[in-house]
Amino acid sequence: MARARRLERKPMFAVVVTAVFFAWLYLPILAVALFSLNDKKSLSTFSGFSLRWYDDLVHNDALIDSLLASLKIATVATVGSLVLGTMLALGLERVRSRRGRVIGAVTLLPLVTPEIVTGVAALLLFTGVGLKLSMTTVILAEITFSIAYVTVIVRGRLAGVSLEVEEAARDLGCTPFQALRLVILPTLVPALVGAGLLVFALVFDDFVLAFFTTGVDPQPLPVRVYSSIRFGVSPAINAIGTLMLIGSALLIVAALVLPRLFGRGTSSLDLITGGQK
Amino acid sequence: MSTAPMSTTAATTPSVSLRSLTKTFGGSIVVDALDLDIASGEFFSLLGPSGCGKTTTLRMIAGFSDPTSGTVLVGGEDVTSTPPHRRDVNTVFQSYALFEHLDVRGNVGFGLRRRGLDKATLNRRVSDMLELVELGDRGKERPSRLSGGQRQRVALARALINEPKVLLLDEPLAALDLKLRRAMQAELKAIQREVGITFLFVTHDQDEALSMSDRVAIMNEGVIEQCGTPEDVYEHPTSVFAAGFIGTSNLMSGTWSSGCVAISPTVSIPAPGHQGSAEGDSVSVAVRPEKIWLSDLTPAMFRLPGTIVATSYHGATTQHLVSITPDLTLTVLEQNLPRMRADDRWIPGDRVEMGWLPEHTVVLR
Repeated sequence: MARARRLERKPMFAVVVTAVFFAWLYLPILAVALFSLNDKKSLSTFSGFSLRWYDDLVHNDALIDSLLASLKIATVATVGSLVLGTMLALGLERVRSRRGRVIGAVTLLPLVTPEIVTGVAALLLFTGVGLKLSMTTVILAEITFSIAYVTVIVRGRLAGVSLEVEEAARDLGCTPFQALRLVILPTLVPALVGAGLLVFALVFDDFVLAFFTTGVDPQPLPVRVYSSIRFGVSPAINAIGTLMLIGSALLIVAALVLPRLFGRGTSSLDLITGGQK
Repeated sequence: MSTAPMSTTAATTPSVSLRSLTKTFGGSIVVDALDLDIASGEFFSLLGPSGCGKTTTLRMIAGFSDPTSGTVLVGGEDVTSTPPHRRDVNTVFQSYALFEHLDVRGNVGFGLRRRGLDKATLNRRVSDMLELVELGDRGKERPSRLSGGQRQRVALARALINEPKVLLLDEPLAALDLKLRRAMQAELKAIQREVGITFLFVTHDQDEALSMSDRVAIMNEGVIEQCGTPEDVYEHPTSVFAAGFIGTSNLMSGTWSSGCVAISPTVSIPAPGHQGSAEGDSVSVAVRPEKIWLSDLTPAMFRLPGTIVATSYHGATTQHLVSITPDLTLTVLEQNLPRMRADDRWIPGDRVEMGWLPEHTVVLR
């Protein structure tokens, strides 16, 4: 049979499970968005629409500082891990020996190491070498943690690029470095965009590593939110959560739309989700 | 575009010369002291089974692989230690290796842009080249939107536009389906005649090598078994490997004795014109299946009785297996000519008399 068999009746069980799954996943998030518009401080009763918590947020310097700090950490960590992770991926593609496979496997360890272990280890390292905890230490820890993601995604793309492509570039007059700059990197752009978005999203709201490696001021946003919850949840937290949600949604839309606008066959998101060849 | 005909350039230094070129990988010899001269403007094929060293040879000429010893000369100049980007050589890769982030024009103009050609000249030459490969209207397409045959032509144009001293083609037609491959063979040959650039073509497909090349070198286990015109290597194979690799041959081994090869106590095949074997030497003989006739035998032919044991129909031809002795069966290829009667066919069990002209008996070393 050429086509997949279609079910003649919708199985009620599957429909119910799917509905419950999505409700479980998204209703709490919707609640956050809704209560960010509440005109009372209550987190249980919605009494009317108001933007007072957004106004509150704009005047909450500590929260804004944390937001900016997190944006900066995520940006620097994304750029740093993209550079290092891509170099690692290119190198590993070249070493196709057994040793190369072992190194490749070791680079994946951060993906499976419990983050709390990485966090404690980073803390011990930084204090051990006498580095004062600050935004720099957070960035260093986050880059270390993110390289593996970049390497995995870039290697996935590289595997689909024949070694002959680089040879073709050299055959047509490129030095090895020019071949990298003019042919290999442009070919990797979708993977780089995908990896960049993923790392940015992961680092931006990373709590564990940030918690262990951050200095006093300004604290990364997740750490700040966590600390402020001890004094009761302010709906301003809901407001900032909603803004972050909108920001992430826009990033995803950008990742979907931008590559298509430039006429590329594959969008970077396809690379992450494994869809569409 | 250089359109100098072959005759005026043939007298100059060879396009490519290999001098005892050797490559070993971890102790095993892949290319063994190869000596080869390819004339300017020649369509030269390296033909051999996979693993025979033909691709490694090509990669050493392109500069992607360093020879263990020996020299590579391109246009008389020693380029053995020149990096690929400074060699006057271009390659058409088996996988095409097109740059997916550039459109067709970007791909074709890549080499010229590297050389810093001014924009107007570059645009004109890219347009000319796209006309040559009949892709004039696809310049703005991405390679991923092209068919296999079109991608192949982009790869060809991208290499040819640089007017290299020699164009290396690494099984460029292997990925195409049979019909397209036939069409591209003819087209490739026509383009080569038009531009007059030396082509070094690597293939494992004997039809391809025979139909396109000025000369063919048959390679096996790192050495050239035989080198000559297609007709030469097909009609007069000099080794058992060459006879078996190009086309099919009826191979028989026997003993050289007074101008004949005795393949069994009762059967002795005359081989006039063969020299270099002494009385009693062990030799092999080959006869092409299509040289053997089952009817219309002439007095000049060497004749051999046999029994048809199997026939199979192949469209233009019919193949018969004819047994002579219990352990000697020859393959005979009969043209399916327009027939007078439908029942005029051989069937298994028929006693037949085969015949072939003595000059079609080839004695191998």
